[in-house]
Amino acid sequence: MASSSPAPARLSVRELTKIFNTPEGPATAVKDVSFDIAPNTFFTMLGPSGCGKTTTLRMIAGLETITSGQILFNGEDFRRKSAFERNIGMVFQSYALFPHMTVFENAAYGLRLRGADEATITKRVHETLAMLRLDGLAQRYPADLSGGQQQRVSIGRALVYHPGMLLLDEPLANLDAKLRVEMRDEIRRLQKALNVMALYVTHDQEEAMAISDVIGVFSKGRLMQLGAPYDIYSAPISLFVADFIGKANFFPVDIESRDHGRAAVVALGGSRFAGVKTVTAASDEGEWFVKPQAALMMSRPEQMWLSSAGQQLDKPAFTGRALRIQFLGSFVRYLVETGQARGEVIVDLPAFAEGVSEGDEVRFGLVGPSLVFEEGSR
Amino acid sequence: MPPATRRRLNIAPYVAGGVTIFVLVAFLLYPIGTTMLNSFAPAGEAFNVLNATLENFSRFFTSSMYQQALLNTIFIGVMVTVLATAVAVPAAYFVARVQIPFKPLILSLSIIPLISPPFIGAYSWVVLFGRSGIVSQYLNQWFGIQMPPVYGYFGVILSMVLSNFTYVFLFVQGALTAVDPHLEESARVMGASRWRVLRTVVLPLAIPPMLAGAMIVLIEALGEFGAPAVLGGEMYVLSTLMYFQIHGFFNLNAASAIALVNVLITLGAILFLIRVNKKRRFVTVGSTTRRAALQTGRGIRIVANCYVWGLLALALLPQLVVVFTSFAEKWPGTLWPTQYGWGNYQYVFSRVVEPLQNSLILAAVATVACVIFGTLTGYVAERKTFFGKWALDLTIMLPFILPGIVTGVALLVTYNSGPIALTGTALIIVIGYFVRRIAYIYRSVVAAVTQIDLKMEEASTVAGATWGTTMRKVTIPLIAPGILAGAIIVFTTLISEMSTTVMLYSARWKTISIAIYERLETQEISAAAAIGSITILVTLILVLTATRVIGKSMSELFS
Repeated sequence: MASSSPAPARLSVRELTKIFNTPEGPATAVKDVSFDIAPNTFFTMLGPSGCGKTTTLRMIAGLETITSGQILFNGEDFRRKSAFERNIGMVFQSYALFPHMTVFENAAYGLRLRGADEATITKRVHETLAMLRLDGLAQRYPADLSGGQQQRVSIGRALVYHPGMLLLDEPLANLDAKLRVEMRDEIRRLQKALNVMALYVTHDQEEAMAISDVIGVFSKGRLMQLGAPYDIYSAPISLFVADFIGKANFFPVDIESRDHGRAAVVALGGSRFAGVKTVTAASDEGEWFVKPQAALMMSRPEQMWLSSAGQQLDKPAFTGRALRIQFLGSFVRYLVETGQARGEVIVDLPAFAEGVSEGDEVRFGLVGPSLVFEEGSR
Repeated sequence: MPPATRRRLNIAPYVAGGVTIFVLVAFLLYPIGTTMLNSFAPAGEAFNVLNATLENFSRFFTSSMYQQALLNTIFIGVMVTVLATAVAVPAAYFVARVQIPFKPLILSLSIIPLISPPFIGAYSWVVLFGRSGIVSQYLNQWFGIQMPPVYGYFGVILSMVLSNFTYVFLFVQGALTAVDPHLEESARVMGASRWRVLRTVVLPLAIPPMLAGAMIVLIEALGEFGAPAVLGGEMYVLSTLMYFQIHGFFNLNAASAIALVNVLITLGAILFLIRVNKKRRFVTVGSTTRRAALQTGRGIRIVANCYVWGLLALALLPQLVVVFTSFAEKWPGTLWPTQYGWGNYQYVFSRVVEPLQNSLILAAVATVACVIFGTLTGYVAERKTFFGKWALDLTIMLPFILPGIVTGVALLVTYNSGPIALTGTALIIVIGYFVRRIAYIYRSVVAAVTQIDLKMEEASTVAGATWGTTMRKVTIPLIAPGILAGAIIVFTTLISEMSTTVMLYSARWKTISIAIYERLETQEISAAAAIGSITILVTLILVLTATRVIGKSMSELFS
């Protein structure tokens, strides 16, 4: 979580709202989004397309007007500054390199606007290009570079004038899978080396987990949850977040008894699970629940066990049929068809389960703690 | 702590847009409105509700001259459009689909009729086919054939077809070249013969660009002044009738009435063509940059070469005759000149310097104004959303459908007297040029800006650049080729502009085209030809330079 210690470059967003006027009437893109980011934090806004994450980023950049709310950076009100006065660096999905300028001129652009002298420009640009391993390419034009190189140049262009914060709008979306992994590590390395706050937008939850200090999960214009990757994965506070971050299995259950935020639940098929933590789902998630069961128990695939139906075990279990077995290298994934869960169940095991082939009946259950979501009040 | 400043709004683009709108309203919409109203006022009066009359239009019912001019305009417009399309489409097909050498040269040469002074070329037909014309005399001597008189329909239509077919040619040629070859290949694979593919796939695809080209030809033909003025003889069309009313009787109200009728005809024609074209909407998604295979058959190549080069030769003949005539020092009604030399040029450079200067100055000033305001307005129109955008778009494109002579008449009528009397000044000519040509720059800029990723400008803004800096360092450099191409077209077409100038020029501000026209009227043919040759040369050099600078071919500049 973001630390609360007072520090210079911290970002504070208060009840940010954006309503677009479309021909079909006003459309709310961002609604009451609030968060605080500590200095030097790598913050990622994560969510499916159309969730308001990019609009939020663009409001922080000053490229989109703010309908209501506040953005404070270092205690300064960003609403009173134009985009070009905010001293930010920004990397775009399309790179947006100036095609009529060389790599050097692209990188020098922000420094020239700040009136730096030629010696400083040369020194800083070459430093930055070297840091991004672009040394030999200074005199090339963007059209002559590969996608990965163009991406590096656009990052260099955004960092060379030491901006107060670095904004990245899906910067890796146009790269191939391998390069994407390399570049995300490099971006993280640079961000830490230069001590600059980074705001990163992506729809790729794996990327977000790998790169971030703090993740904000967005859905339908709202900030659903804010926290470190582990917290969000292990303790989601809404069904949307549970489902969007990583894989999740949902079992309709009835709550039998409660005790200090924990409950004993009965699943379809009669299995009982005791001491499960309860969470109230978000107010608009009513349609997730499978009536007549009042609650949904959530479990991650790697926190499940699975064995062939013949094996009798003395622990609560579900039954189903293994539809598909995928060997994925470091683990084996079982897709299980069952009437006792909401949709298919995914079980990830470190090794093949003995005696289970595709089409076989299986038993499966939970290892360790899980969560139970209760329907929120409207 | 310094007092907090509100975020500044960038007003520069809105100021530029505002000025453009003001100029367009004051010098285009208002004059046209005034002209239309004045056409309902008695001769010599300004319109008010009490003096409303249809007197000016009554001549269309009583005067056979008026009726004939109206019919002539429609007849010539339709004939020129149909014939120009008919000669252009085969040429376009041959160039696009048959293996012919020197294609870039063919495309470049086809532009020359468009950029040459309009009526000096028309007069060449008199030199060739007139009563004592070169060709007429030979035909008479050798075969005893009497040519039909070149004055009248024959000359006007011939001259206009050959100077306007290029529009259709370039449009159709471009479309046929760009058609996804997969379309034809799939038709072939499905078992269609070559002729069937041509009839059922290729030609239908060429219809929208053909109609687009035909529309331009029709608009040009309905508003053309030069060719009917030089070759019309006793035959009047609406534009020459307007000229006659103003230069003969200075009857502005009668001219206004004719202008209104002229605009109505043009409007009707455009609406008709748009209707025809609307029924045919094709989405041509070109997923490949591969070109269709060229036909290489011997027979088709011979036919194609003969047709294309023959047509070009015919279209360029007038310019060649102009150049030839400019070297004729003595031509006393004989078959060929009796003495050749540079005399005409010496005469032009000693006596006709001022019109040359005037044309260059007026065209340059108008071009610069078009570039500045067209660029900013085009940028604003493409990038910003604001109330009444469609009205701006419509207004700026209006001169495209207005015959040039009507714009001239409207400005003359409106600013002839009163608090702002501009008649006779250079300003009114520049304004006329500006409102007629700003659309060229505007359209190039809109097209160019659409191509630029908005994120590029945002990247510049975020890096710390103001709107002005972003424009100067990022946007303008990227759209410069488009602006330059537009500027060259504007400048070259303005140097020899005739239709608007003929209504607005004064003794002090005569232009090249007026100088040529005056010399044609006083039968100083060779001097006129020398001025014409110089104009052709200057225009060609400009266009060639521009193509070098921009890296586009001549024909791309015009399509």
